[in-house]
Amino acid sequence: MDRLRLVAVVAGLAGLALSVYLTVLHYQGVVPACPTTGPINCDAVLSSRYAVVAATSVPTSALGIVWFAVSAALWIAGWRRATYAWSAIGLASVTVLVFTEIVVLGAVCVWCTAVHILVLAQFLIAVTIWDRERR
Amino acid sequence: MSSRRPARKGATRAPVRKPVAGTPSWVMPAAVVAGLAVLVAAFLVIRWYTTPLPPKAPSQDTTAQVISIITSLPSSEFDAVGQGTANNLVKPISGSTLTGASGRPEVVYIGAEYCPYCAAQRWPLIIALSRFGTFSGLQTTTSSSTDVYPNTITFTFRSATYTSQYIDFHSVETLDRDQNKLQTPSSTDQQLIARYGGSIPFLDFGNHYASTGAYYLPDIISGMSWLALADTLKQPDSAQARAIIGSANLMTAAICKMNGDQPASVCSSATIQNLEKNLK
Repeated sequence: MDRLRLVAVVAGLAGLALSVYLTVLHYQGVVPACPTTGPINCDAVLSSRYAVVAATSVPTSALGIVWFAVSAALWIAGWRRATYAWSAIGLASVTVLVFTEIVVLGAVCVWCTAVHILVLAQFLIAVTIWDRERR
Repeated sequence: MSSRRPARKGATRAPVRKPVAGTPSWVMPAAVVAGLAVLVAAFLVIRWYTTPLPPKAPSQDTTAQVISIITSLPSSEFDAVGQGTANNLVKPISGSTLTGASGRPEVVYIGAEYCPYCAAQRWPLIIALSRFGTFSGLQTTTSSSTDVYPNTITFTFRSATYTSQYIDFHSVETLDRDQNKLQTPSSTDQQLIARYGGSIPFLDFGNHYASTGAYYLPDIISGMSWLALADTLKQPDSAQARAIIGSANLMTAAICKMNGDQPASVCSSATIQNLEKNLK
């Protein structure tokens, strides 16, 4: 396994850990340590209706667990096309979530942002490897 | 015979293209990051354009009209809504019964004017308390322009007084809408919020029940005027009534439980009795 793929796997496992943490806190009814006033406000984001999958009580972070677990598995298995597609799906989802945070809620959750950065990191690694292979 | 033509003497060779270095590997990821940065900037611009401006404060007559509407809603309205879409955050607590200056069971509110959740919570609190007594000195205000759910319309308790023959009410607005210091919680207030709450808006119903947070999300009243919202509350099937009247019913049930179900005209209704059962 080359170094970039190893970084992608580590980022996937870190994202998995963060998603599990946020999901556990959701079911405990606890908001992670974060400012609660102003535009950086985890409480506003995580207690909003967008913190759960529409029409369910499943937290959005549970989808993060699934995404990072599948992503890590794909990187380890070396299924490149599937990995690229999965990374693109992840980045598209993050774009929608960031839109919701900034435009709809006017608040940003730093814990969620950490997860988003890990998704972005995986997409950038996928793009770099894809670019390297097509030369 | 060979078909190959001999090279003519003096003919020039076709120019060989000089190898060009490939695009550096960092360009693609950098382009992705730059594209995302532009997207985030666009989101910020959209947010800036779509954030509602602070609504114009209503005149004294309009304020009086709004207060009159929300403090004299018919009991049929409360019965039609029930809990509505309100989130039941009322939790039983154990402590010596809290009494006010007149010795009656006391409701304590601790909040702040900048806080959008406090802004949302004051509407049902005023409606619920008005079923047990009378407010005077309520003033309109909005939550902070720079916090989440900016400029949420509401009232402030900073100069309000409340009289009731059944209960006492004590309120503290710790900061104004610009987060300047306003009212200082007493040591008892601080102990209550530390023991039973932790954050604002905090409500203590005579040390029988307490809650932290708003029972509905402020976005449901975003962009409305005070009068428009008051009028909407007269329609039990409106989203605003289901959230705000539902929250008021939960508060009313908690007050009835702390107050020995007095007065019967309020507390004996089937709606309140059912909600009391849910409070444990």
